Amino acid sequence: MRAANRGDAVAYRRLLTAITPVLRKVVRARGAALGPESCEDVLQDVLLAIHSKRHTWNEDAPLRPWLYAIARHKVIDAFRVRGRRVELSIDEFAEGLAAEAGSDPTEGRDMEKVLNQLEPRAAEIVRGFGLHGETTAETAARLDMSEGAVRVALHRALKSIVKLRERMIE
Amino acid sequence: MRTDDLIAALAADTKPQAPVAIRMAFPLMGAVGLSGISFALFWGSRPDVWAALGSMAVLKTLVPLVLVALAAAFALALAHPGRAGKGRASALGAVIALAALAFLWALGREGLAGLQGALSTPSLMTCLMSIPALATPLLGVALWGLSSGASLRPWLTGAMAGLAAGALAAAIYSIYCDKDMALFVLPAYGVAIGSVTLAGSLIGMHVLKW
Repeated sequence: MRAANRGDAVAYRRLLTAITPVLRKVVRARGAALGPESCEDVLQDVLLAIHSKRHTWNEDAPLRPWLYAIARHKVIDAFRVRGRRVELSIDEFAEGLAAEAGSDPTEGRDMEKVLNQLEPRAAEIVRGFGLHGETTAETAARLDMSEGAVRVALHRALKSIVKLRERMIE
Repeated sequence: MRTDDLIAALAADTKPQAPVAIRMAFPLMGAVGLSGISFALFWGSRPDVWAALGSMAVLKTLVPLVLVALAAAFALALAHPGRAGKGRASALGAVIALAALAFLWALGREGLAGLQGALSTPSLMTCLMSIPALATPLLGVALWGLSSGASLRPWLTGAMAGLAAGALAAAIYSIYCDKDMALFVLPAYGVAIGSVTLAGSLIGMHVLKW
């Protein structure tokens, strides 16, 4: 995390990849009734929160309590809201479960809705890294932008994603 | 979107984020400046300000300043999960308890009639209006800055921001206010600062959510 806060993308990715299975287990244990897809949405919320609040971790303090506090806050919040939402559409929810049984369990739904609200180019940049496994330089070349512009656009896009997700929860 | 794809996108966003305190520093100086200038324009200092600052009345300025330091430090700690704020919280509680004790002691000495006498002055309304007015820009900037933090208890963080803003406004206002009796200062300043604290808590519940 220390390296990540100094801009080391590889170290940061390793950290996020390492904590994700643990977080997923916590989220699924709490929200078994919601179905794997909603759990994945919550997990993605937690990851977004860790990312957008990473500057509130003090480098001299142990990382685990901080991570735990952020995750707990987000998980409680997310289930409080989703619990309410599921009650409203329980039939639809049951149908949806049956129909989507074969889909990838690490696929979140909410994220797509949010990405569709972004500017197409911003959404394209956010998708580019995972879908095509691109680096900033490759995205820049593909979209005919400078590397700096891609960085700024990505940073802004993630910020608006966090805001839009918060609005979804309210 | 798959979670691994999201992680890839998050990891690629390496732009550093400014710490909460640094993000707040300049806007907060601006807000203090705004409150200070409006104070100079619309209130102005009492004629015997230097004599007052050399007497017991200096406590009217000093005690709020102590509250500002403690409440601001506590609010900042609350915006950072995992950072200990217990020491500041108990110091803050001790200062408030001491002020309450001082009020009870003064009340015991002069009785309810004394309290009524001290408070039946037009200065009371001036005080109750001025402190929240001077605190408004401070509270606004403090809440804006703290919203970039990660408060686990938004109402408490907001209340501490309100306490810090209200106490700083009280310290500024004390330069103008020429009522020095304990039975006036303690309840009037207390209610004024308390109302800003309450406002901070109510607004904080909404704007400090994340």
